[in-house]
Amino acid sequence: MIPTSTPILGSYDYSEVARSVFIAVAASYVALDLAGRVAVASGRVRLAWWSGGATAMGIGIWEMHIKGMLAFRLPVPVEYHWPTVLAALPVAILASSVALYVSSRQKMGPAEALAGCVTMGGGIAGLHYISMAAMRLPAVTQFSPALVALSILLAILFSLIALLMAFGLREETRWSVPRRLGSALVMGAAISAMHYTGMAAASFFPAPLPDLSHALTISPLADNGIVIVTFLVILAAMTTSSVDRRAGAEIQRMNRELERRVAERTLQLEAVNRSLRNEILERERAEEDLRQSKDRLRLVIDTLPALVWSKLPDGSADFLNQRFREYTGLSVEEGLGWGWMRNAFHPEDRAEEEWRAAFAAGEPFEKEARLRGADGVYRWFLLRAAPLRDELGHVVKWYGTTTDIEDRRRAEEALLQAQDRLAHVTRTQAMGELAAAIAHEVNQPLTAIVTNANFSLRQLKGSPLNLDELQAAIAEIVNDGNRASAVISRIRGLLMNQTPRTAQLDINKIIQEVLALLRNELTRNRVSLRTEVAANLPRVRGDPVQLQQLLINLIMNSVEAMRGSAERSRKLSIKSVENAEGISVRVQDSGPGVAPEQADRIFEPFFTTKPEGIGMGLSISRSIVESHGGRLWAVAVSGGALFEFTLPAED
Amino acid sequence: MTEAAPVVFVVDDDPSVRRAIKRLIGSVGLQVELFGSAQEFLQGPHSDVPSCLVLDIRLPGISGLDFQRHLAHANIHTPIIFITAHGDIPMTVRAMKAGAVEFLTKPFRDQDLLDAVHVALERDRTRRQQEAELATLRKRLETLTPREREVLPLVVSGLLNKQIAAEIGTSETTVKVHRSQLMRKMGANSLAELVRLAERIGIPGNTP
Repeated sequence: MIPTSTPILGSYDYSEVARSVFIAVAASYVALDLAGRVAVASGRVRLAWWSGGATAMGIGIWEMHIKGMLAFRLPVPVEYHWPTVLAALPVAILASSVALYVSSRQKMGPAEALAGCVTMGGGIAGLHYISMAAMRLPAVTQFSPALVALSILLAILFSLIALLMAFGLREETRWSVPRRLGSALVMGAAISAMHYTGMAAASFFPAPLPDLSHALTISPLADNGIVIVTFLVILAAMTTSSVDRRAGAEIQRMNRELERRVAERTLQLEAVNRSLRNEILERERAEEDLRQSKDRLRLVIDTLPALVWSKLPDGSADFLNQRFREYTGLSVEEGLGWGWMRNAFHPEDRAEEEWRAAFAAGEPFEKEARLRGADGVYRWFLLRAAPLRDELGHVVKWYGTTTDIEDRRRAEEALLQAQDRLAHVTRTQAMGELAAAIAHEVNQPLTAIVTNANFSLRQLKGSPLNLDELQAAIAEIVNDGNRASAVISRIRGLLMNQTPRTAQLDINKIIQEVLALLRNELTRNRVSLRTEVAANLPRVRGDPVQLQQLLINLIMNSVEAMRGSAERSRKLSIKSVENAEGISVRVQDSGPGVAPEQADRIFEPFFTTKPEGIGMGLSISRSIVESHGGRLWAVAVSGGALFEFTLPAED
Repeated sequence: MTEAAPVVFVVDDDPSVRRAIKRLIGSVGLQVELFGSAQEFLQGPHSDVPSCLVLDIRLPGISGLDFQRHLAHANIHTPIIFITAHGDIPMTVRAMKAGAVEFLTKPFRDQDLLDAVHVALERDRTRRQQEAELATLRKRLETLTPREREVLPLVVSGLLNKQIAAEIGTSETTVKVHRSQLMRKMGANSLAELVRLAERIGIPGNTP
């Protein structure tokens, strides 16, 4: 359409312009604010925020345009076709919704930004030109294409800026309100600039009044009503947003607190977990160790070269090691309980009997007994048992070993027999040598005596009589007689070590020493020993070796005397007591005793009742006692022999 | 040969016994020499007269039995009478086998010792006589010429002069001369006597 006249010049009501700019800024603020709300919300809430926000913003933008157009005053009456005005509103809301959608997404790439700003810019431009189209005035509107294009470009550009700002301001920070305010100012100004650029693009030329149906004049009252409604909407949106933000912030704070607590708790739980895991590992390791140690122990017990067992307090077996079962050939069932005691021991050794006594007494037990092997052959074993007690002293278990000592015992017996034989041979040989020595030593003077006596007789019978020579011979007879006597004395002294090494002695100690020496001998001969030694005996002075010799003689005499007696009745008793002279020691046995007709001869040298005896023991013993200033004699008793000796106490 | 006064040697470590024995043996008119040990006896000078040894078995140093063997090795054949305080059968057997005259146990009967001494001296006398005769024969043997000594064993083995001449490669006449010479030198009056004398000095031996 070609203009027919000069354009109608319009003017602006600047207070209206300011109001429109203010509305633009307020709407921008709402938009920026709501973009953050939409961004953090999800689901229906997000949809509500989005639609509510888009509505509030759309109304704001729309109102700003209305306001901007009202600020333009023309010298002709201007009416507005209200359906068109209203039709512009959805466009504004649509553009706003696109803007909110784009700016509230998680990410905003160049493509989204471009699509968003073109849509939004197009929407705003559309709103502007639709609103312009609602104008009803007696003029024709002409548009400057360059300014239109510029306004559209500006709309798109400002939309881009708005989107970037909204996107950047989504996060709530300490400075978000001032920044948002600044951004709203920029955006408001931009929207206004686009609007007024668009207005500037239009020129009005007088024309006949167009169709005024559905057109109305916007009275100042209506204008203000719209403004108030718009502000109310914007205010409502802002208030809601603010409340929501605060609630959101609180929720966020609580969320953070919760997260912190959860994190803390998680850490704690992890620590607990870790320590639990470690504990489990350690326990597993400990269990493994325990198992290994059990295995090892079992291996040790089963391979020990001994029969190992344990028993309940009553003495019945509850464990037998493998060697035990292998040796005895008993099964576990046969061996447990009292089975092995009954089945495996040699009845003569009375092991079960003694064992039961030990169990009853709760005393550690040790015994040598024969145990029958799987092959039916008995071997000697050393049985040893010790009780395990609880803290109250009750026996809870018995543990014991049974060690094969057959070989050792045989060796011992062989050794003892060899020692016996050797002792006998040595004694015989010593006796032979002694006899030879005595014979030679005594026979020399006797020979001289006999020869001199014979010479003398010859002299007396025959002639010529050489008196000097006869006298000499007889003198020599006397000398040699004395010499023979001296030889006898010397031999006695030789036999008993005539110069005693004296010391202060405790006779009980000597008794103990001798018993220690003879323990094996007593055991081997199955002699049961009873000692009764008086405490605090006075000391005696003497030669310990000689006194030991004395006691050995007396005890061995008893042991040898009892060899013919039954094993059970071989009893030896040794007593020491204090008496008027000093001390007295009695050695009594249960042997055949001393026959009355021999009683006065037993102390004579070379008198013996034993087939292998040399008859020196008691003679030497008496000499020893007498050299110590004591006495030794036999006491007549029934059922055995009793020898008693006394020794003077040392002052 | 004139009879020299015999001597009895007594070896005993006991001086009292020695003196008593000396008195006893001296009382029968025999000469007695006393020694305390075998060594003492060996060291002492001994007159060449009939003698015997009264020897104690138990002596200081070498024993009586060992001394007996020692003497035998040394070719001393003095008869020995053992006296001992403590003799046993093996000891006695050994002593007697080795040529002891008697084995007496101390104290012995005086007559037993004196009898043993007489037996021993008699045995020694006989031995000495035999040795003296032997010594004479040996001296006579030494007077033979080598040729005569060669002929002697052939003669005593009963060969005829002719055979001997053939054996030694000479004439029968020469053998006759040798034969009469050696008969004279050996103091034999007959062939039988020569054979007896030659036997005593060990001819013919194994040597031809």
